[in-house]
Amino acid sequence: MTAEGCREWRERLGAYVLGHLTEDERAATSAHIEGCAACRAEAESLAPLAELLPIADPGQLTTAPAPPAELADRVAARIAGERRVKRRRRQRRRLAIGLSGATAAAAAATVLLAIVLSSPGTGAGAQKVNFGSLPDGVAIGATLQPRPFGTEIRMNVHGIRSGTLCRVFLRRTDGTRMPAGSFRYRYAGTEQAVLTSALDLSAARAVGVRAGNRTFVAPLRRSVGAEATSKRTTTNKEYS
Amino acid sequence: MQTGIEMTEHALADERDVREAYAAHSGELYGFAVRSLGDRGLAEEAVQETFLRAWRAGERFDPELGSLRTWLFAILRNVVIDLGRARAARPSVAVGTPEEGHEPLEQILLSWQVEEGLRRIGDEHRRVLVETYYRGRPYAEVAADLGIPEGTVKSRVYYGLRALRNALEELGYDG
Repeated sequence: MTAEGCREWRERLGAYVLGHLTEDERAATSAHIEGCAACRAEAESLAPLAELLPIADPGQLTTAPAPPAELADRVAARIAGERRVKRRRRQRRRLAIGLSGATAAAAAATVLLAIVLSSPGTGAGAQKVNFGSLPDGVAIGATLQPRPFGTEIRMNVHGIRSGTLCRVFLRRTDGTRMPAGSFRYRYAGTEQAVLTSALDLSAARAVGVRAGNRTFVAPLRRSVGAEATSKRTTTNKEYS
Repeated sequence: MQTGIEMTEHALADERDVREAYAAHSGELYGFAVRSLGDRGLAEEAVQETFLRAWRAGERFDPELGSLRTWLFAILRNVVIDLGRARAARPSVAVGTPEEGHEPLEQILLSWQVEEGLRRIGDEHRRVLVETYYRGRPYAEVAADLGIPEGTVKSRVYYGLRALRNALEELGYDG
């Protein structure tokens, strides 16, 4: 039988699978299905719907709740925040890998650099210095922490041109420099870079950062003791 | 060495991808979230969290394993469970959570799929299915109400079920 010839039978199949046909209609339709593979296949494909319809709540059909329009903005704002986090993580990964090559070449010093999102608290013996004599709008601060491997330096930089390369170093008592790594200042806000140098903090006289073509240096106290974490402002006029 | 550093291309590689995914799927995700959480505010939270998690895990999405929509629904499902747990931990509002409520989450998902499928089919088709199936009214009565022959009610039930079958396939029903 052709599909067109089956049309009347076909159009009963909905009522058939839902059990809505009279007994006579049902028997006739069953008999047709017995002999017609196409209609049988169609009935079989509709039969599961008879099982599914009962689990729907007909009261839910009129209300198709739509999310409020501003939800899109809220999602976008959260994602934008996440994107900044992601980029920093990526940057940190890139720098860590890039610098591991440099470390192998420069066996004298272990140099690691990481841009971190939050600043863990400083421990005993830390020194906090603020760089003085800076151009208007620029602020540079550093917290130095003695570590078993040397010195950890947390640099806070604010207000310099985005993309500026900053090279950080420690100055030894004999005036020579020990590099502590580099970072690129990227954002308008305050960014903290964590750098480490193999030089012991007790052997360092000053901490410096060369930002672009300008160098800023802040002297360090010789002894690091109980008052070490207090703020201290220094000048850099003899070095810049 | 450099190849391992760059993020691999993925479905939610930038914010434009997220916007597109949001435009395409937020309505459905929100609908299911409302259905399962029973609260629009919580549903908004769930949708927001879903896109955030999707964004964070964007590189883990593999289009060869399934559609973005399926992936987002899998994330939402976990978010809804988490929100349900969080709500259950606050006894004052712990009413009908997916975890301890009367319907398990899988059942709610199935119900929502059928309801969403029924919303998607044409008004005429939905109408006859609601009248004849859910309200159990005789075909002749529905035909008189709608001013159409009884045979047309019958054929609309058939075409309505076919449309529902197709809609459920689109909605990922794989039963």
